[in-house]
Amino acid sequence: METVLLCCKTVGTDSVFTETMWRRSVGAAHTWFGCRSAGPKRIWGPHAVRTCSTPALPPGRITALQAVDLWRRHFEERGVTEPGHSSRYIIAHLLGAKTVESLEHGKLTEFLSQEKTEQMWRLCTRRLSRMPVQYVIEEWDFRDLTLKMRPPVFIPRPETEELVELVLRDLMKNPGTGGDSQHACLEVGCGSGAISLSLLKSLPQLKVIALDQSQAAVDLTVENALRLGLQDRLQVYHIDVMKDAETVLSLCRHVSVLVSNPPYLFSEDVVSLEPEVLRWIHGVIILSAAPRFEDHSALDGGEDGLNVIRQILTLAPHILSNHGRVYLEVDPRHPVLIRPWVEAHVEGLHYVATQHDFTGRPRFCILQKEKSHKDRELYLGLRN
Amino acid sequence: MLIQSAAKTLYFGSLLRKMSRVFSMISYMNSVSNWVIWRGSPRMSPLLNPLPAGLTYILAAGKKDLMDLPVLNEDDLEEQFVRGTGPGGQATNKTSNCVVLRHIPTGIVVKCHQTRSVDINRKRARDIMREKLDVAYKGELSEVIIKKKESVLRKQEKRRKANENLERKKQFKEVLAADLNPEKDTA
Ligand SMILES: C[S@@+](CC[C@H](N)C(=O)[O-])C[C@H]1O[C@@H](n2cnc3c(N)ncnc32)[C@H](O)[C@@H]1O
Repeated sequence: METVLLCCKTVGTDSVFTETMWRRSVGAAHTWFGCRSAGPKRIWGPHAVRTCSTPALPPGRITALQAVDLWRRHFEERGVTEPGHSSRYIIAHLLGAKTVESLEHGKLTEFLSQEKTEQMWRLCTRRLSRMPVQYVIEEWDFRDLTLKMRPPVFIPRPETEELVELVLRDLMKNPGTGGDSQHACLEVGCGSGAISLSLLKSLPQLKVIALDQSQAAVDLTVENALRLGLQDRLQVYHIDVMKDAETVLSLCRHVSVLVSNPPYLFSEDVVSLEPEVLRWIHGVIILSAAPRFEDHSALDGGEDGLNVIRQILTLAPHILSNHGRVYLEVDPRHPVLIRPWVEAHVEGLHYVATQHDFTGRPRFCILQKEKSHKDRELYLGLRN
Repeated sequence: MLIQSAAKTLYFGSLLRKMSRVFSMISYMNSVSNWVIWRGSPRMSPLLNPLPAGLTYILAAGKKDLMDLPVLNEDDLEEQFVRGTGPGGQATNKTSNCVVLRHIPTGIVVKCHQTRSVDINRKRARDIMREKLDVAYKGELSEVIIKKKESVLRKQEKRRKANENLERKKQFKEVLAADLNPEKDTA
């Protein structure tokens, strides 16, 4: 069994949580990029210069507003999406704010220092290569958290903020019974850690197990947890749920929540994505006309987008405590497919509801474990 | 391209239904290109739905010194996002997180792009809306206005005191200078 466990120290059979021990030091979490400051430049610098002409640095001093305008126009000319937003988010970041709108009054009309001007040019040149703004400024907000962002780890989408909200609503309505029976949660595919960390932040009693098949994602989740001081109630594992279901089952029992924003795009749709998503979700920049996509695993859910979803639903009754729930973010075409599939294939799990996202699309599925399950042992027996 | 057109047909129905309700907003948003109106009354996630009164009360109370602000009814709201026409979710990576909220009965419009989180912007927009409604309903008697006035007064008072202090220091220096100068001159 090829298990790559990030932390594993006497995983008790009756307790979900055991002592956490990070196998990798935090420093190691940085290694993906090699030398971090040199990394980005090394990856796209030379190509960016060749393929996207960068406007020359201004000879004299310019104000923040002038820089924003100049770059907005340049982005526009070069067909970079969201030219205005890109340019404004970058300057806001350089001036120490989240958005231009939250900047101190008058800041935009002040002259930029030479250093800030150069930084603006450097970051905007990256954006010119269609690198998403979130990777350019290396951070983004998810609900009330600011998270570190780094390719090729998936950038959290605003729809997922609502997924967290759905879980919170239920857990707040039904806090664990008694002092020590805390709720436990499993997240499959944690990416940057957005969902898990957000839940931990909002629920001081909650404990979370997060897993991802990508080492870069595991590292980033750990890094974000440490930055936010939320590491004590979190365990992060490098596991592929498709290949290593047994390990998942041995780690997680009786959790009350199984939450996931798994890869759910239909394979045929993956090729027609915007360059920002296409190139950067996979962390692979397209340098030649012939696209090379190496790692689709953050969004490609297979032919019908359900590969990982089916696996999660199959495992769910064996992982959840009685009345425990599954919360999934899915493609709008999925809820009508998932319901009959679960009814036909997964015993002990019943479909509770489909919820819509803020744009009105059927985006979330909630399912519940119906009765206590006897066939956990059966399942394990069959697999062995 | 494929995804976009598919999504358009898929959601066109719901768009049309809402169109009539949001018509009046379009003129307001004229200056902003790329606005897409998705829903007439998008439900804020149930946690924030003001209807379970106790909960919103706590949210509002924590922030606004126990102000007795009106409770919002999500059915009275329409909301706009700049999310483009794409399929949303994992397939889209948009950074525009501005939220525009309109209270249909009063026509009050609130815009929020203070943070990079759509969720937080939606919550803040609702907080601001409640304050605006309070002012609209109660006028000068609104706690929002009273608190604001108090804070303006406090600031004026502070400034006055600071100015007085400054003045006193200046006078003190002048006196000091007058005392010292003759000595200097003779030195
Ligand atoms: C769409 S991203 C979601 C990331 C994060 N939860 C969020 O919402 O921002 C899906 C994540 O699932 C992970 N993933 C994909 N297939 C997986 C598998 N078989 N086992 C574990 N994780 C998987 C990917 O590496 C990726 O980080």
